[in-house]
Amino acid sequence: MDFSAVPLTDEQRQFAREVSAFLDEVVTEEVHEHERRTGDGFHEGVHLALGSRGWLFPSWPVAEGGAGLDRVSQRILELELTRRGVPGITISTTSLVWSAVELFGDPGLAAELKPGVAAGRVRFCLGYSDPEGGSDIAAVHLRAVQDGDDWVLNGAKLWTTGAHNCQYTFLITRTDPEAPKHKGLTMFLVPLDSSGVEIQAIRTYGDERTNAVYYSDVHVCDRYRLGGVNEGWAVLRGPLDEEHNRSPSDGLDDVARLGRRYLRQFESALDAAARWAKRTTRSDGTLVAEEPAFLERLGRLVIEAEAALVTPGLMGRNKASLAYIAGIAELMDLVGPEALLTRGADGAIEDGVIEFAHRWAQGTATYGGTTEVFKNMIAQHLLGLPRLALAGDKAYIREGT
Amino acid sequence: MDRFELRRQDFSLDADQRAVREGFGDFFAKEVPSSLVRAAEPLGFDADLWSRLVAMGATTMGLPGSAGGDDATLVDLALVAEEAGRVVAPVPLVAHVVASRLLARAAGPAELLEAAATGERVVTLALQPSRGAARQLVPEAAVARDVVAFSPADGLVLHTVEEPAAHVPNQGSTPLAWFDPSAGEATPLASGAEAEGLFAGAAAEWKLLTAAALVGITDSCLQLAVEFAKSRRTLGVPIGSLQGIAHPLADIATGLHGARNLVWKAAWFADHEPGVRPELPLAAFDYAARTATEAAWFCAHAQGGLGFTVEADISLFFLRAKGWSVLAGDPGPGRQQIAAALLGAV
Repeated sequence: MDFSAVPLTDEQRQFAREVSAFLDEVVTEEVHEHERRTGDGFHEGVHLALGSRGWLFPSWPVAEGGAGLDRVSQRILELELTRRGVPGITISTTSLVWSAVELFGDPGLAAELKPGVAAGRVRFCLGYSDPEGGSDIAAVHLRAVQDGDDWVLNGAKLWTTGAHNCQYTFLITRTDPEAPKHKGLTMFLVPLDSSGVEIQAIRTYGDERTNAVYYSDVHVCDRYRLGGVNEGWAVLRGPLDEEHNRSPSDGLDDVARLGRRYLRQFESALDAAARWAKRTTRSDGTLVAEEPAFLERLGRLVIEAEAALVTPGLMGRNKASLAYIAGIAELMDLVGPEALLTRGADGAIEDGVIEFAHRWAQGTATYGGTTEVFKNMIAQHLLGLPRLALAGDKAYIREGT
Repeated sequence: MDRFELRRQDFSLDADQRAVREGFGDFFAKEVPSSLVRAAEPLGFDADLWSRLVAMGATTMGLPGSAGGDDATLVDLALVAEEAGRVVAPVPLVAHVVASRLLARAAGPAELLEAAATGERVVTLALQPSRGAARQLVPEAAVARDVVAFSPADGLVLHTVEEPAAHVPNQGSTPLAWFDPSAGEATPLASGAEAEGLFAGAAAEWKLLTAAALVGITDSCLQLAVEFAKSRRTLGVPIGSLQGIAHPLADIATGLHGARNLVWKAAWFADHEPGVRPELPLAAFDYAARTATEAAWFCAHAQGGLGFTVEADISLFFLRAKGWSVLAGDPGPGRQQIAAALLGAV
């Protein structure tokens, strides 16, 4: 057990200064403005700049386009990127998909893509959910039919965040409608500039942009198939398991993992509310910071955030999201009408950070699978509770069904 | 407060810590069947179990070497308290360990410290500051002749009576008693800011170790409910396969793991960097208490009518989840302190 501050070597100290100086230059106000305007979770200039330093895949050897960083330096970099609010959605989807490309892709294709991936010119997004499928990723209707050396794709995907900034999508398709649900699936890395691909923006009230992607007679060469035909489920599980389970083993990572990102927003709102309380008086002249009732309610939210921060793995993902959603709603009540003011409005609290956090929270219960899907996993895998046999578990997914 | 500071987040137990956990875990599992817990009601004290626990070193491990102890860390003590909570052992472990450590820090009477270390004399702590002659309920005071109490006027004082105060029957079947600050012999231990600091530290330790015990209670509730939900069937399926049962149990598992980690983190900071996160024991206690409350009611409820019967072991845990946590009084002031710590840091 150890929660001590990590002692840095001279080299690591030097590296931290280097990161800081570099990001000072690259992560400008324009980057933040761009993110607020687009909600892309991506900025090409920053992405390429990070790639130029090998910091998109910082653990890779320098010769392979990485930076050969030790674990402590990787964490220094991660924390600094987070502190500065660098948009990172496409960074993380690219990294997730790469592990599948490396494991299951044609070696020639992987070798061809690797330098571009490391440099930031080649980026990947996730083509998982069919419009009717949601978190049931195997409920795939999007069809892939072999045609000589090509496959022909027809169908649609929702929630392909970053598709308009990526070169390829990691696409799950149905190749055998006669096979059981999980057995007729095949994965492809589909070039998004293919003819017949249409990307349409979807906006969230968390200020994010995601996409619907439509595939109409899209031809993709067999070379872009990842893993065996009808073996797509195993190929997809690799990155999915990694996304869900990446477990810290060296004590350097946050245990809440996926949840940590959600908690950052909640913490920003809590901190802003605390500063607000210190400078705000009620009509009777009482300083909010001195009201026992305010402190008691705020204290309860701080406890929830502390608890979420130390809740491990899948459970941490759920706790972070649910504590944040309940907590930010309560924080809005605590602060009152000023909490509603949006960025730039007269009287908005710290550029509307609480107001934004309240909206953004709502997506966290769905990202990467809903909290209910995660509760199923906790119940079955951690507690050993029996799985409920539902009609849709193994149902065949056929045209028109 | 730097929320981006690079600190380790290592919750793993080392070999010694695992040995403490397993040693006491085995002891409590073997020595404390639910029949023993029931037999100790309503007082909630089994003298024979207490002497065997003392023989395990539970009353000396947390004392400083200078007082004949083993300098165990709060992390070690939290591991022991969790195992005690897991079987709701009818022993005054937490209050006794905390009051003994307090007496050692405050240079209390040597012969009392010795008798406390050997478990002969049970010592305890009044958790609220005394105001004048007003009496207060003190945990374990029905089996302790010695109560350490703090008042702003008199500082930290050891109160010793000829016989422990009369037991007051209570929901958790603990040795609760009214403490009368004017009764018995008073020995001043510390005054002024020193007294206040010693008292606040001990109260936080009591909350931390009680939080650990509540984690043990939560874990046992969860296990009882999970076993029941795997085998009990309704409408042709095990009830544990239904989301109405499975999801609340998943939430309780989530609360359990978070509460345990929060206790460990708070204990580690108190051991290694005292003063850096003084609000963490309060946070751990608040969260562990709420988690145990939720676990106890739902895990009893998951067993339907059976879970509401006195024969069901879950009843022992349900009654103590509140019976132990409410001893600290209203959670409000703790939450206010936690918020004040944030306001001070931003």
